[in-house]
Amino acid sequence: MSARPSMLAWPGRYLAVGLGLAIIGWVAPQPAAAQSAGSAPPPMVEQPGTQDNFNDPLEDANRAVFDFNQSVDRIVLVPVAKTYRTVLPGPIRDSVHDFLRNLNEPIVFANDVLQARPDLAVNTVGRFVVNSTLGVAGLFDVATHVNLPYHSNDLGVTFAVWGIGEGPYLILPILGPSNVRDLAGQIGDSFADPGNIIASQNHVVWASFVRAGTAGIDARARNIETLADIEKTSLDYYATIRSLYRQRRAAQIRHEHTNLPNVSPLGGDSNGAPPISYTVDPASRPGEAPKR
Amino acid sequence: MMLRSFATAAFLLIAAPVAVASPAAAAPDAVAFVSDLGGRAIQVLGPGVPAEQRLRRFRELFRDDFDVPGIGQFVLGRHWRATTPEERQEFLRLFQEYVVQAYSTRLGEYGGQPFRVTGSRPNADEIVVTSEIIRQNGSRIAVDWYLIDRGGQLKITDVYVGGISMKVTERDEFGAVIQRNGGKIDALLVQLRRKLAAN
Repeated sequence: MSARPSMLAWPGRYLAVGLGLAIIGWVAPQPAAAQSAGSAPPPMVEQPGTQDNFNDPLEDANRAVFDFNQSVDRIVLVPVAKTYRTVLPGPIRDSVHDFLRNLNEPIVFANDVLQARPDLAVNTVGRFVVNSTLGVAGLFDVATHVNLPYHSNDLGVTFAVWGIGEGPYLILPILGPSNVRDLAGQIGDSFADPGNIIASQNHVVWASFVRAGTAGIDARARNIETLADIEKTSLDYYATIRSLYRQRRAAQIRHEHTNLPNVSPLGGDSNGAPPISYTVDPASRPGEAPKR
Repeated sequence: MMLRSFATAAFLLIAAPVAVASPAAAAPDAVAFVSDLGGRAIQVLGPGVPAEQRLRRFRELFRDDFDVPGIGQFVLGRHWRATTPEERQEFLRLFQEYVVQAYSTRLGEYGGQPFRVTGSRPNADEIVVTSEIIRQNGSRIAVDWYLIDRGGQLKITDVYVGGISMKVTERDEFGAVIQRNGGKIDALLVQLRRKLAAN
């Protein structure tokens, strides 16, 4: 659910500032990358965790924001997520999840197209049509049961597929792990989102906020135990989350199975979703060889 | 031992029907190895297995079937060369126990769920065996096992769960700890000891 971008998308002036910053930050690292690549073309997907290169020049600031987010998570998000899980029965929560995900399918479709993936685009259209009709306006994910499994997609992935570097790793207040490329993508996606456009045209921007907030609670409620276990067993939770975020995004860029715990306290889209089973030619998987 | 034979029987009941390997052209041994090991791991993680027994079984499994020295060296990365043989030995001992404790917790949510091998492929000098865990809501988690032949014995060098590599995650985490402590491996050993003592 890229409902979280919609929190950033409005009002417009924040968006403009954010986008400006994003573009500066995201273009800036490019010359360095090009230099180091030499004659070889720069890799489409960067390998996370190159030795002592965590792509985190802003680490001190990021850690401060991370600590702040952790406090907010403990004091507000987790209690709210637990209450949400206690008050609403499972099937209703599933329908909330499916409804929000269906609302986001136009953005998934747009990015499938931008990545020149007709196979994915056809899948997304099929899902949207089936779930919006047979699935009662998206309340039920019928499509998964007729062999149209969900896949996530977003503008951050599109930028990566186009060969744009990720830019520095970022921890966004409340929203959690990101990087300059993903932040720019989130802003772009929220601009283009039909739901957000309709809401703002009809002067009901609050609807976008409700959607974003609900998506955040939904995502957090699905990950309470997973994130608690990771935190409990980590030597350095910040570093573990950074690694998981970067690996997860790299896998999404390769369009592999990405049924991962979402490491962002608020947000994410692939929780509990069946993986997409499109085959990827091993030769076209940039992560494979250098990683070993 | 009662308990043991019960566990074996439970494993056979749970794993046998689902661990039917699709015949892979390459490396049938690797496929059989992962079918067996994955089934055992899932069973050990399952509900109803006492925590103490789970830890013990996980420890045996990691020690016997994983390439612990190779993984340990990868995880320390360039810091490996800067360590003394004693430090290495101590690190491997702590690392092994840390992985057992961390992953028996982190992977707990997959316990007792159907597991099946879906295929295999060569990758440089390794073999990748692909598998999946089918969750109650019908979603599937891809689990890829990287295996290497160590003197005629297959050893696991890495496991990818849903696109996340176990050893890359640990390298990133340990690398951060070392980096934040002036490049000293001592600090990592201290933190590992503290973590293990706390559990």
